[in-house]
Amino acid sequence: MLAIFKREFLSYFKSPVAYIAFALFSFLSGFVFVTNFSNGAVNISSEIISLRGFFVIVVPIITMGLFAEDKKRGTDIIYYTTPISLFSVVLGKFLAAFALFGVLYLNVVIHIFVTLGFDGTIDYGVLGSTIVFFVMAALFIAIGLLASAITDNQIVAAILSFVMIMVVQLLPTIGQFVATVLSSLLNVIANVSASETSEMSKNIVAAFTWLNPFDRTNDFKYGVFSLVAVIFCVSFAAFFLFLSYRVLEKKRWSQS
Amino acid sequence: MIEIKNLVKHYGDKKAVNGISFTVNSGEVLGFLGPNGAGKSTTMNIITGYLSSTSGSVKINGHDILEEPELAKKSIGYLPELPPLYLDMTVMEYLNFICDVKGIKRKDRASHLAKILTLVKIVDVADRLIGNLSKGYKQRVGIAQAMVGNPEILILDEPTVGLDPNQIREIRKLIRLLAKDHTVIISSHILSEIQAVCDRVVIINKGKVAAIDTIGDLSKRLSDSNKILLTFKGEEKNVIHAIKALPGIVEVYSRDINDGGIHQIEIQVNSSSDIRANIFFTMAKLGCPILEMRSLDASLEEVFLSITSGK
Repeated sequence: MLAIFKREFLSYFKSPVAYIAFALFSFLSGFVFVTNFSNGAVNISSEIISLRGFFVIVVPIITMGLFAEDKKRGTDIIYYTTPISLFSVVLGKFLAAFALFGVLYLNVVIHIFVTLGFDGTIDYGVLGSTIVFFVMAALFIAIGLLASAITDNQIVAAILSFVMIMVVQLLPTIGQFVATVLSSLLNVIANVSASETSEMSKNIVAAFTWLNPFDRTNDFKYGVFSLVAVIFCVSFAAFFLFLSYRVLEKKRWSQS
Repeated sequence: MIEIKNLVKHYGDKKAVNGISFTVNSGEVLGFLGPNGAGKSTTMNIITGYLSSTSGSVKINGHDILEEPELAKKSIGYLPELPPLYLDMTVMEYLNFICDVKGIKRKDRASHLAKILTLVKIVDVADRLIGNLSKGYKQRVGIAQAMVGNPEILILDEPTVGLDPNQIREIRKLIRLLAKDHTVIISSHILSEIQAVCDRVVIINKGKVAAIDTIGDLSKRLSDSNKILLTFKGEEKNVIHAIKALPGIVEVYSRDINDGGIHQIEIQVNSSSDIRANIFFTMAKLGCPILEMRSLDASLEEVFLSITSGK
């Protein structure tokens, strides 16, 4: 696992990927920071929380090549024909991408020092938001990794992970949409009145929102720490890693 | 030792491999021969654990590749058709990575790698990026990768494909060197290559084993049984007539060549008799000088063609 981690992490810096991701993230986070700064109200905690919204762009760049590139170059054969276990390959690659997020976080560290330089204070809320930053990164990297395991085309992997992360981001809206469609269908077909379906609609929206890691972690910016939210993200990350492992394992059995 | 039993691999409706069985004894060099698309690479991918078979089993030194993959894979070094190289690493970084993946202990590593680098002759490119190497060197790095961890079995899929003649000769020399203390399976569609290095050949066609034999036996078995090719100067009709009259002749065919009075004929003889002296004296009597006389043993090329074309 360590071997895979080392190779993948170093290869980020041998290709433009690490630099592009870092430049992009610097720009986006810097934009948020400067906007807040010029408004005269810098809150690092809420800056970190708002950075989650950019993961949808940054994560696909980082994860798209993880397995797709290997499959295209034929180097994935190494993972299958040597005694190394496939799961440790998945884990190694995941950790490499995760470590790159650690590098991206340096931007925030700079902002923290700038804030301190202007006589700002730092509270434990920043620690909580930082945890959110990393667990949500872990979750989205795992999703991106799955996309990369599915296809051998980097572009397809990037688009796929972008769409999947976007769906996660839009879960409440999607829930709203499903609820509306379903209740109007019931209204037309079974003549159920809107007042009767309103309870159902509410539940549907609640279910979709339950699945949304953004809603779960919003309050971290006020210094509210929720262990449930952290466990939620980590366990979904683990779930997607496991799925990736199964996808790769299955490739061996493919019939086409 | 490798035991392959009844290997079947379906790709949708197509059977890429259809009931292949053979064994490879330790220390042997086995040629794996077949036209493109016969299922060579698929079979090799199954033997090494990259693909799983639809049915059938592969045992490496008694360990099933699917049931005890780690034990089985330890004794195999594999060079796939496309060498699995990371172009953004130097040769040394890459081989160190392979050592990590194969679990080679750090303290043995330096000497182990030094030995491989010397054997494969890539010492002078050890610090260069793989992406900048020539195809021949890449192939060598691929072989080096397979040799990491001293596996007793080396499986090389078309090791000389796409190389120039000089590189091919070098790689063949290397394979012959490796054959001394490894069990080797080499696939190829180039027969001279197999002829040059292998003890035994497995010929497959359309996913099935068409023939398994030693190279000598195979060409004997399928040789055009006792034909002599005769090239001479003179009147063809007279010669054919005179030779037909000799004892032990079955048939004489003309090759219909007339190059300024030079003709070629094929003489089919009884297997028991050596008739070449008689032919010589007969031709001398006729005053027709013999320019060439040799027995026609089927080359592996012809054997291959006759087997794979289904004759």
